[in-house]
Amino acid sequence: MKCGIEIHQRLATEKKLFCGCSAQPGEEKPIATIERRQKAVAGELGEVDLAALHEYSRNRIYRYQVFPGTTCLVELDEEPPHDMNKDALETVVEVCLLLNAKVVDEVQVMRKTVIDGSNTCGFQRTAIVGSDGSMETSKGDVGIQIICLEEESCGIVEEKNGEITYRLDRLGIPLVEIATAADIKDAKHAREVAEKLGMILRATGRVQRGIGTIRQDINISIPGGARVEVKGAQELGLIETIVEKEVKRQEGLLRVKEELEKRFGKNTLEKPAMVDVTEMFKNSASKLLRKECVLAMKLEKFAGLLGEELYENRRLGTELSDYAVAKAGVGGIIHSDEKFEKYSIGKGDADELKKRVGAGEKDAFVIVAGERKACERALESVYERALHTFKGPQNEVRRVLPDGGTAFMRPMPGSARLYPETDVPPVLISKEWIGEVRRKLPEKPEERKEKLLKVLNEELAERIMLSKNYPLFEKIVNGLKVEPKLVAATLEETVVSLRREGAPVENLNENKFMELFIEYKCGKFVKAAIPEILRYVSRNSGESVSHAVEKLKLEKMSEKELKKVADEKKKAGKKGKELIEEIMREHRLRVDISELSKIVGA
Amino acid sequence: MYSKKIQEKLKELGIEIGDRVRVKSRGEVCEGILMPKQELGDPNAIVVKLSNGYAIGLNFEGAGLEKLEGHRKIGFKSSDEKLKHVAGKPTVSIISTGGTVASRVDYTTGGVNASYSASDLVKAVPELGEFNIDSKFLFGMMSEDMRAEHWKEMAKAVFKELKTDARGVVVTHGTDTMHFSTAALSFMLKDLNKPVVFTGSQRSSDRGSSDSFMNMLCAVNFASKSDVAEVSLLMHGSSSDDFCYAHRGTKVRKLHTSKRDAFKSVNDEPLAKIFPNGKIEMINSNYRKRSEREVSLDDKLEEKVALIKTYPGMDPEIFDFYLGKKFKGIVIEGTGLGHVPTAIEKYSLIPRIKEATKAGIPVCITSQCIFGRVHEFVYANLRKEYEAGAVFCGDMLSEVAYVKLMHVLAHSKDLEEAKKLMLTNIAGELNERTPVFE
Repeated sequence: MKCGIEIHQRLATEKKLFCGCSAQPGEEKPIATIERRQKAVAGELGEVDLAALHEYSRNRIYRYQVFPGTTCLVELDEEPPHDMNKDALETVVEVCLLLNAKVVDEVQVMRKTVIDGSNTCGFQRTAIVGSDGSMETSKGDVGIQIICLEEESCGIVEEKNGEITYRLDRLGIPLVEIATAADIKDAKHAREVAEKLGMILRATGRVQRGIGTIRQDINISIPGGARVEVKGAQELGLIETIVEKEVKRQEGLLRVKEELEKRFGKNTLEKPAMVDVTEMFKNSASKLLRKECVLAMKLEKFAGLLGEELYENRRLGTELSDYAVAKAGVGGIIHSDEKFEKYSIGKGDADELKKRVGAGEKDAFVIVAGERKACERALESVYERALHTFKGPQNEVRRVLPDGGTAFMRPMPGSARLYPETDVPPVLISKEWIGEVRRKLPEKPEERKEKLLKVLNEELAERIMLSKNYPLFEKIVNGLKVEPKLVAATLEETVVSLRREGAPVENLNENKFMELFIEYKCGKFVKAAIPEILRYVSRNSGESVSHAVEKLKLEKMSEKELKKVADEKKKAGKKGKELIEEIMREHRLRVDISELSKIVGA
Repeated sequence: MYSKKIQEKLKELGIEIGDRVRVKSRGEVCEGILMPKQELGDPNAIVVKLSNGYAIGLNFEGAGLEKLEGHRKIGFKSSDEKLKHVAGKPTVSIISTGGTVASRVDYTTGGVNASYSASDLVKAVPELGEFNIDSKFLFGMMSEDMRAEHWKEMAKAVFKELKTDARGVVVTHGTDTMHFSTAALSFMLKDLNKPVVFTGSQRSSDRGSSDSFMNMLCAVNFASKSDVAEVSLLMHGSSSDDFCYAHRGTKVRKLHTSKRDAFKSVNDEPLAKIFPNGKIEMINSNYRKRSEREVSLDDKLEEKVALIKTYPGMDPEIFDFYLGKKFKGIVIEGTGLGHVPTAIEKYSLIPRIKEATKAGIPVCITSQCIFGRVHEFVYANLRKEYEAGAVFCGDMLSEVAYVKLMHVLAHSKDLEEAKKLMLTNIAGELNERTPVFE
């Protein structure tokens, strides 16, 4: 098996890649919608991209939602792009250096044709920043082919009746794309590589977090198979399954190919006639079939093959159906290897269908229902796909299904889809600039972990090293000399449990934490009081930490006060461990236990 | 362009743009197609298109270059396939003058090239297949370079097409000065009998999202199916790809640098709304109808006309330049109702207006407000201007007044006649009433 992955990670810049809009979409409501169509056009070498033609053949209408803070005329394709965001470029240069890649001398922005409507321009702006890198893994080095800086596409809102609605707030957020070489050994290894790349990206502290901010595409082929790109795996947990199922699917298609060679010899499938059977289902019990048009088509010598299971719950028939869905926008097809009762098609109807399409024992047939034009296009696509089965697996782009299986999305785009973006001047990357980035480079994940393990337990070390709070952690530990364990636990554990109980922890910004640890360092309060203080400050974000301490009466007990309390307890006959325990029980939030032990001991 | 050093090296190695090359730079080896250098960017970086389609720039300093087998022609291949006329289909002539609409990206300059033939057009807009398209290439120029001589050639070319059995004529044009050209042809084509429709695009047609496809489709439909025998300008009506407006050629202006719906009718309603499915909804009932009249060409223009904008702090001596250069007419784009600096003697334009008028040179007043009409009596300063001899041009756009003055000066014996013609409606450029629009 050959396998490589591509990671797309959103960068945490303030602004978008080619305009001044915010790169952090929030909860805004759309203020307007515009409507566009797109065409397949030829690239700089005069060729039309196959994938682009595929989308165009669907003749779609795209709607775009406009948002006030995150959309301007650039996203609407109504204004040329502005200069490239240098922060974003710097982050990608940083990623290149972390992956031992060579940085290009001059960044050439390209237009990558995409006319699924996910970009209003009809192309995505993308540029190679680095190439030829590598990373260490448990199964040897994995090569990094290219590292690109590109624009995020629109977010999809809904798709219905051939019309897709997109949201423009996401469009143009800078993304780093990392493509590995096909050095991945197996499904488990694929997951390891994805995880490791994710860690390196997070180590920069300059990438976005949360759902949808990172996506993996996986390229898989087996000997005799084809190159398949699986798009949009968002969960790391699914990667192994995706690889396993795709390998099985390609193996299954190779089996079908062999069987077809036996059945057809050197011949191939003749184009079958489409037979109109609409009136047969006029009064059908199945709503699925009571449509404007129902067409049927014979697939000669395909009997039994459509039911061939490629992997669990996916049959060859589904592959044919995928084409009809993707290319004609129908709901699906019904084929003769299925149980017809599912569709309320009786034995009589089935026989009649067979007769009408002229199918014998060795033949299969398919039916499709919907608008006439769509049905015709659907059956043409089924025939096209059936022809492909003679060649085995096809080079194509597939999308991930929730169970880790995949479905056909579009043909594999070629290099014809890239041509220069003439609206953006090429950007020189000087040696001096690279040097500057290199000096500021964060440690690699393994180095960082090693360092942290000296002061933290493994669990906490792993959490803080990948956390967005890592730079703050370093700042507090190094700047204020606070115990690392307390800082890490506060940032990673205390805040999480406060969030779970419903405290508005988003109000706890960097300044609040700095204030907290300065006051702590000055001896204003003890460790145990931290959760109470943070809870209060998150709910009253206008108030200072010292004010919160006063208000909550959480000032640390002075030595004098502590002595007084201890003396009282001693008078009441308490001593030693019992005395300490009782004081701690009563004044836990205000007493430092080591101090108390000293006093009691004295 | 690449630096001289690179060009010389390429020549020495016999490498041409489009050749497959191997570049060794700083220990890195790269193979791909040698691309032309954009105008922008470092002339010392070699641009190579890799097999994955990406281009990268590599520093030429210390790099090794080697020619490999294989060559690719860079750029769009125009089809020279001849399209045969089909009987029964309406014929529309398309004259291409350049601009974004009929162009492809030129990878040498990063600019755009006009390189569309009729069959390219039909390929790009398959819906045009319901028409017989006669495509003529006139010029491939960006509209900011156009001059009066180009309007004359355009008028001649359109006139020729009007004499054929075409239902109408479409002119593709750069958008920047398209409204100057529509005004010019409005004056030059007398007794127009068929639609003449100018169109362009704000996004070049090499991108899937280009507005050119829909503009072209709507323009051909309007030229073929409508009965509006006027010179009109047709572009997107909104930011969406939902409909186009046809504007009267003398009542339209570009009002945005980059949006699809940059053109708006000014002091007039658009003529019609045109949908990509060919449907036409008339909006303005005031237009000349299609007829069997004999169209004539009157392409005389006096080119020594200037268009001057007034602004706070302007130096009246600018007038002396034009008078010294023997200009025959001046259009002033004044402020507000048509004001020019008046009260401070040293900076007043009034003496200059008097001087020009005395010399028989008409000084016409329009407004930089764009919308609305000028007025000669509302303020004392306006009256002074009027008394000095200025011609107040009603609701005429300054660009239109400029073109019209060229036309008028080529057809009038004296100042008085010129003044009178400037205030006579010839091609819909003057409206007596300003309707209330939304």
